[in-house]
Amino acid sequence: MAALDMRDLGFRYDDGTEAIKGLTLSVAQGERVAVVGPNGAGKSTLLHLIAGFRMPFSGDLTVMGKRLDKNSADGLRRHMGLLFQDPDDQIFMPTVEEDAAFGPVNLGLEDIPGRVARALRSTGTEHLAKRPPQRLSFGMRKRVAIAGILAMDPGILLLDEPTSGLDPRSRSQLIALLKGMRQTMVIATHDLEAAAELADRAVVLNVRPVAEGTIRQIVSDRAVLEGAGLEMPTLPKLLGRLEEMGYPVESLPVTMEQALAEISRMVEREAERRSG
Amino acid sequence: MTMVLGHIKGQHFRAHHIDEHARSSWLWRLDARAKLVGVLAFVVAAALMTRPELVLASLCLALLMAASSMIPASHLARAYLAAAPFILIASLSVGLYGGLGKGLAMAARTSACVIALLVLASGTETFALFAGLRRLRVPALVTTLLMLTYKFILLLGEELSRMMVARKARGFRTGRSLADRYGLKVLSYTAGMVLVRASGRADRTYEGLKSRGFEKDFTGWRSVGVRAVDWAFLAVLIAASASLVLFQLEVVAWPLST
Amino acid sequence: MHVPDGLMDPLVAALGWVEFAVVAAVALWLSRSRIAEKDLPRIAVLSAGIFVAQMLNFPIGGGTTGHLIGAALFAIMAGPVTAIIGMTVILLIQALIFGDGGLTAFGLNALNMAVIAPLTGWGVYTLLRPFAGGDETETSPFTGFGPVIAGIAAWTSVFVAASACAVELSLSYAVSSGTYGIASTIAIPAMLGYHALIGVGEAAITVGVAAYLWKVSPGAFARPVTEKPAAGLARVMYSRTVQAAIAVLVVFALALPLYFVYSSEGEDGLERTMSDAGADDGEPLLSAPLDYGEDYIAALLAGMFGFVATSLAALGVLSVLRSRASRAG
Repeated sequence: MAALDMRDLGFRYDDGTEAIKGLTLSVAQGERVAVVGPNGAGKSTLLHLIAGFRMPFSGDLTVMGKRLDKNSADGLRRHMGLLFQDPDDQIFMPTVEEDAAFGPVNLGLEDIPGRVARALRSTGTEHLAKRPPQRLSFGMRKRVAIAGILAMDPGILLLDEPTSGLDPRSRSQLIALLKGMRQTMVIATHDLEAAAELADRAVVLNVRPVAEGTIRQIVSDRAVLEGAGLEMPTLPKLLGRLEEMGYPVESLPVTMEQALAEISRMVEREAERRSG
Repeated sequence: MTMVLGHIKGQHFRAHHIDEHARSSWLWRLDARAKLVGVLAFVVAAALMTRPELVLASLCLALLMAASSMIPASHLARAYLAAAPFILIASLSVGLYGGLGKGLAMAARTSACVIALLVLASGTETFALFAGLRRLRVPALVTTLLMLTYKFILLLGEELSRMMVARKARGFRTGRSLADRYGLKVLSYTAGMVLVRASGRADRTYEGLKSRGFEKDFTGWRSVGVRAVDWAFLAVLIAASASLVLFQLEVVAWPLST
Repeated sequence: MHVPDGLMDPLVAALGWVEFAVVAAVALWLSRSRIAEKDLPRIAVLSAGIFVAQMLNFPIGGGTTGHLIGAALFAIMAGPVTAIIGMTVILLIQALIFGDGGLTAFGLNALNMAVIAPLTGWGVYTLLRPFAGGDETETSPFTGFGPVIAGIAAWTSVFVAASACAVELSLSYAVSSGTYGIASTIAIPAMLGYHALIGVGEAAITVGVAAYLWKVSPGAFARPVTEKPAAGLARVMYSRTVQAAIAVLVVFALALPLYFVYSSEGEDGLERTMSDAGADDGEPLLSAPLDYGEDYIAALLAGMFGFVATSLAALGVLSVLRSRASRAG
């Protein structure tokens, strides 16, 4: 059973503009899919739609085998953890630990102290337990918001631009954190590098689905990038320039590891050439 | 320090700091319901006092509460100042027509009530207060609105401060009088801006709540039972209030001769 | 206008609580069909916005400042029932978190600022709106002479609420033989004068905010359109004009119990004060102008009743003439 199954999904805003059109996508349990695209491309809307906040929509969406509609929305939402772009939209309680407990209490779950402790531990926020979240830095607040979602133990995580607004250190910490998690994930982002590190697969969305594949494949296709209004990140850009300078590249890398591998190969080839 | 902006001109909005304040006191840890009921009883009693010795007694009790609560005096004093205009006018008018005695009694009586209320306000964590109200059977609609409104007040207050700073940075100075149409216009546009930014938030907040399982009501929170110390606090306040009333109604004679 | 505890006569305060409790109960009951769970954040935002707006001081001239009440704005934007609930929430926060406004006095404060102010503002606005241009169903405060109407409604809401407060203070003074309250010779001119000025600021700000919102997000004024009931009492009640007229009448009906209390206790109280005057401990610095006191309250109440009755009658006549004209034309 797929975690999420979307068939020809479509959604229009109140004023008639299309936000999403013709999206067919299936996400297996435990899989991590990135939805990339420029701002305003419908990525956020897609996540909120999956969480049952955008009705009525056209097409079909099933969550864990059950169809999403007005009646099933509240129930299905229990399986999902939606992380908002702005953590302040989902932090409510006066202290961090109470906020983490907010979800479980509302859902009537068991072992709330245990859940809270685990959630705080995994997000590295235990030392902030008694602090008021409003005074924390943006990065910390994002973590608090994540803790709040993790405490509910959702099977599916919907992350809306998780790395945006974070300073470089917080960003790497967050990526490391997400990497270690087991849940099914749908990550909406325009941070291609983060997407590459986290997701197995990616969909380029610009109202309509434009392409699908690994990030690496997508990045290599300039037409797709252009059409989707995406900017090539630094690493592939660098290697692309090297390629133009005459150093062939197997495929444009997106992550550090991939880039190192490519450059090592380049250096070896060059060394061979020189010695030979 | 909490400021009731309406009466103190030009101060910054700092609702956050209310809660920071009294976190250290014993009062803080009491069950909100005990505090609400106890202080209400006291305030009702104090408002009924008209005899000078009793008014004085209730003022002393209020001050005692304030002192033992360990809430910094400056904080309480500042908040008291906000209520001062009304108290002053009332006391003066009563004093002018009815004599010094009545004027002073009015001042003392209202002060006692205000001080007691300030102790409640500053000595209780906001969220706990609202949860306490809910447990006292105040309708869910009201308490949910209280919590949401308070949350938005904090957010809006920050936005407003930033906006006012931005305004000042662009050379705007509040006008001299009602005749200053430009000043009023900017003022109302600022207010409008605050509201618009806020309503976008509102919809997202609703989704934020729902995404964490919220269903119309904040009950189920902090279900700590009422402890002995809460009962004790409540008992003391009720006893004091009842005594004051009994003395006032002359059911029991006041032991000290005036 | 946030009155602290210990100022109003206990009887008047208790009466205020009773009246407010009744209105609140009705409002809560009505809210069940009008307010859905998803409306809560919007209402809270509006309450928060007006709360924060109340903290903005505006200068009245001569170095004094006034501040917004916002009840009329609330009611024009969200309707009377929501406004009553929203303003009550604001007052609760002010009393319980900031200590602004008393607990025993809460009934009266809420009556003044969370019932009388919004109902008056909304009532005046709704009754006058059809005369200000735009079509029959026009409710926005921004077409035709809408802004003027909104301004008038805002000023009136402040003035009437202040009058109510002045009456309560004067009544407290009279009923308690000068122990509680403020003498009407001070209370009425002071409250009315000060708030007549504040009302101008409130009107200007209300119009300004409405203008801004209308420009930026007209959706803020949209209210769900409900079905017009087929017949009977429900259909009559559906008419906003009828609702508004009822709102205004309710406001003045609230004064009735106060008037009864005054006529039964107040006059005696005043007489008692007259005879006690010589026997007071301290020396009265001014002799109590009790004749004026009596006249002030009675005059004020009579004047208000008369004004409202005449206005409603006039509006009624105008409405009839208008619908005759539109049917003929």
